[in-house]
Amino acid sequence: MRLRDTIRTAARGLGHAKMRSLLTMLGIVIGIASVILLMSLGASAQELILAQVQNIGSNLIFVVPGATKGSRFAPPPTAQGIIIKTLVKSDADALRREPTVAAVAPEVRGQAKVVFENNDAPITYTGTTADFFAIRNFTTSRGNAFTNADADSFNRVAVIGPEIAKTLFGERDPVGRSIRLKDISFRVVGVLDAKGLGPFGIDQDNLIIIPITVAQKQILGMDHYNAITIQASDAYTIEFTQSRIVSVLRQNHRITDPDKDDFTVRTQEDALSLLGSITSILSLFLTAIASISLVVGGIGVMNIMLVSVVERTREIGLRKAVGATNRDILQQFLSEAIMLTSFGGVIGIAFGTFLTVSAYFAMMQFSSTGWVFALPLSAIVSALLVSTLTGVLFGIYPARRAAGKNPIDALRYE
Amino acid sequence: MISVTNLAKDYRNDGTTTRALAGVSFNVAKGEFMAIMGPSGSGKSTLLHILSFLDRPSGGTYTFNGKRIEELSDEDLAHIRNREMGFVFQAFNLLGRASVYENIEMPLLYAEHIPARERTPRVHDAIRAVGLAEKTDVEAGKLSGGEKQRVAIARALVTNPNVIFADEPTGNLDSQSGAQVMAILENLNRTGRTVILVTHETYTAEFANRVIRLKDGSIVSDEMTTNHHTSTDKFFK
Repeated sequence: MRLRDTIRTAARGLGHAKMRSLLTMLGIVIGIASVILLMSLGASAQELILAQVQNIGSNLIFVVPGATKGSRFAPPPTAQGIIIKTLVKSDADALRREPTVAAVAPEVRGQAKVVFENNDAPITYTGTTADFFAIRNFTTSRGNAFTNADADSFNRVAVIGPEIAKTLFGERDPVGRSIRLKDISFRVVGVLDAKGLGPFGIDQDNLIIIPITVAQKQILGMDHYNAITIQASDAYTIEFTQSRIVSVLRQNHRITDPDKDDFTVRTQEDALSLLGSITSILSLFLTAIASISLVVGGIGVMNIMLVSVVERTREIGLRKAVGATNRDILQQFLSEAIMLTSFGGVIGIAFGTFLTVSAYFAMMQFSSTGWVFALPLSAIVSALLVSTLTGVLFGIYPARRAAGKNPIDALRYE
Repeated sequence: MISVTNLAKDYRNDGTTTRALAGVSFNVAKGEFMAIMGPSGSGKSTLLHILSFLDRPSGGTYTFNGKRIEELSDEDLAHIRNREMGFVFQAFNLLGRASVYENIEMPLLYAEHIPARERTPRVHDAIRAVGLAEKTDVEAGKLSGGEKQRVAIARALVTNPNVIFADEPTGNLDSQSGAQVMAILENLNRTGRTVILVTHETYTAEFANRVIRLKDGSIVSDEMTTNHHTSTDKFFK
């Protein structure tokens, strides 16, 4: 039998039971649609996270005190609340002299209640140098960032995020007004532009930035840093700069055995690949769950095809009587199954695309974090392939049953 | 064209063996109109099924156009059924949801030796031959019994086979429709086709020029009938 005739015969076979064909297809439609939706959502999340990591700045290298044991994704000990005092001013100064380094911003952090008139709010404040603003892409919507001269002169000035500005000042202009942090009065010199969430869900709009000198000496009473953020020079590769930073710090700390490092140097790429692998696993997991519905749909197809083979036993006998070979019958029933699943796959792709677009608009409507639209071509192509393959996989058994029937028994079947 | 020698068929069911054919031998020449008769269980349907390549014998030899059935694969049998045989069943065996056209076209779909462009004229010729030209696009399930059997005959004709096998073709029909069906078969025989039919109705058998009677799987008589009826004098007097 010619392929064209096989396809036509299969299409007629399905057409003679339209309602049943549509209902059988529904299982595949739902399966494929959910695979498309979840793969797209996974891709969106990945792109969103990528954007967030890039949003914090470019060419960044982070130094935190304490060695990290295990994989490069293991959390540094400071993340577990251990206080390590090994990162100090002489490190920052040495790094500034390093030619592969473009800018250095040491940081200390603390939590406190910030007060303005009758309003107050708990806040994480960061003490740093003026370079921090440039390195981390922070710009001001009102006023200006403080300068290194402010830091050197222990000026009690603060740059505040747009969220906390709204909480404390409402519609009023915060610039020039004074806020209180740990009973010390700070003059607000600038309000930051809104930046949204950073990686790991860090709020970049609800923060207060003050000169590091004031934070260290007058609030926290400490000489060490919590972290140093470095912007690498464009002239060198990130890996080279990272290795230079490691050797500068080792020299400064007089460490000869790499196993005894008392600091951890991470690049933005490390953060990207960590987050990337998290979202990949998440997408894979979601897709696996969606695939279950596809398998259920496939079993539905097999079930209906088996019923159909039994119901059409006489038809099979007749076709064999008038000259159909076993292969012709096999191809006819296999084609019917593949048509059901691949047509279901196409409808599923359309439905899944609709759901993805709806999800995008819903996210834009109800979420402040922003959302990225993604509909990866790989999802569509794999959905088509998988749906066709489902037809082959779940159609082959009923088709073999049909092909194996003895013509005379089939003709006599009541 | 057909030669059977000592043909036997046993059915095995739950350990007991039933002998449906106990060694039958005869030849059929091209252009014969042969009726196989006998009471229920005499083995006449079994014989027809073997002759029409739908079933294989348990013993004996069967040669069709010089080919021995035991040397042919299932696929060979399917091709020969398609090219050289036409089938008419008591229960019509039409696809009820498909049109008359689609039903008649079906054997052509498996006939790779017939070019696709010849299909439509062949189907229309076959429909005209059974007098159903105006029903071409009607669903087969909506036809009357007589019309259904004529569609089935058209389906048997469409590949232009040498032999038409008919299993109780008038069994489900009233006498009027039965007469029409027999007239068509008779006409096919006049144009040179061999017709082999199974029947238990004497008046149907009287159209044949040869009658084989079976009993308990054996031939009890094999007679040429020279003064057989024709459709006109049997049904339309």
